[in-house]
Amino acid sequence: MKKGIIIFAVFLFWLLLVSAMVSLPPMGSPENPAYSHIVPRYLEEGVEEAGAHNIITGIILNYRGYDTMGEVTVILTALMGVLAVLGRENLLHHTSKVDESTIERSVIVKCVVRLLVPFIILFALYIILHGAESPGGGFQGGAILGASVIALTLTFGFSLTVKKLPLKYRTVFESAGPLGFFISGVIGLFCGLNFLTYIIPSVAPAYQDLIRHLLLLIIEIGIGVGGGTIIASVFLAMEKVGKE
Amino acid sequence: MNDLTELFNKLFVNFNYIVAATLFVIGLYTVIAKSNLIKKFMGLNIIETSVFLFIVSSGAIVGGKAPIIGEGVSSKTAFVNPIPQALILTGIVVAMSTTAVALSLMIKLYEQCGTLNADKLKELK
Repeated sequence: MKKGIIIFAVFLFWLLLVSAMVSLPPMGSPENPAYSHIVPRYLEEGVEEAGAHNIITGIILNYRGYDTMGEVTVILTALMGVLAVLGRENLLHHTSKVDESTIERSVIVKCVVRLLVPFIILFALYIILHGAESPGGGFQGGAILGASVIALTLTFGFSLTVKKLPLKYRTVFESAGPLGFFISGVIGLFCGLNFLTYIIPSVAPAYQDLIRHLLLLIIEIGIGVGGGTIIASVFLAMEKVGKE
Repeated sequence: MNDLTELFNKLFVNFNYIVAATLFVIGLYTVIAKSNLIKKFMGLNIIETSVFLFIVSSGAIVGGKAPIIGEGVSSKTAFVNPIPQALILTGIVVAMSTTAVALSLMIKLYEQCGTLNADKLKELK
């Protein structure tokens, strides 16, 4: 009875949404209002203005740099929230469900993970470093890095990951995202320009492109390493179980 | 009859939007009907996904390529709209962050109360 009422209400809401969507402009036509405002400028001059062949990377790091800086702060704050609720793991007091499990882990899984993890990390680094030229970028590469740590933890146990990624390094790497933005952005301030300008005026114009590329690379690496470590830390904090 | 075909044509052109609306409604149903908190949050994640699909679809172009400028590509109509994709990248990261915080709160709740059932939690006081 209760379910029926909910389904009916939700169906009415669906009808409302669909009736609104019929009157939207047809999907996929270049005459869409969303396509005619600022997009041509981004597509025509984005490479020269933002310094990345991948227009999306140019938008998130240059045109909307402040937005991305806030985003990086959001995931750092999320980590802080998780740690405030659950606390850091400590091998003296904590173990994990994976370690406690009495079921022998499959040899096939162990072999495959051991073989694949180096390549996964290499792929993540490629995605991070090549984000300005090809599909990818810091967040995507960071997610892959974090996934490789999770795969390792689930097959080889909690203690291995905690030992291989000691807390003193992780605390630094977790803040790499905002730190990268800070380093790259403040350079513009010191040269009398705006925050996140990526320009050093005293350098010859021929090298201006290279400098902007390097500063964007610093940010990409910061986002990637920071994001990956944050995912790993959140996972480790959730995975731990108190020792009896 | 003619009006009806026209309506169906419009619906078919905006097929992605219809799928987004359906996903939204599925998520809404999950949030309202399920009493397990983790299932409720899964519903919320489905709603987020539907919004991502809707916004990315609004930037699609028929036959458009990914907006990566390389050699030999010049026509400006050949690329899809990059702005929704950049916005959704932000959205995905925020969705991940909220999921992490919510799950950690649920873990603590389960440790303290021994249940994640919203109806039982209401009776605990």
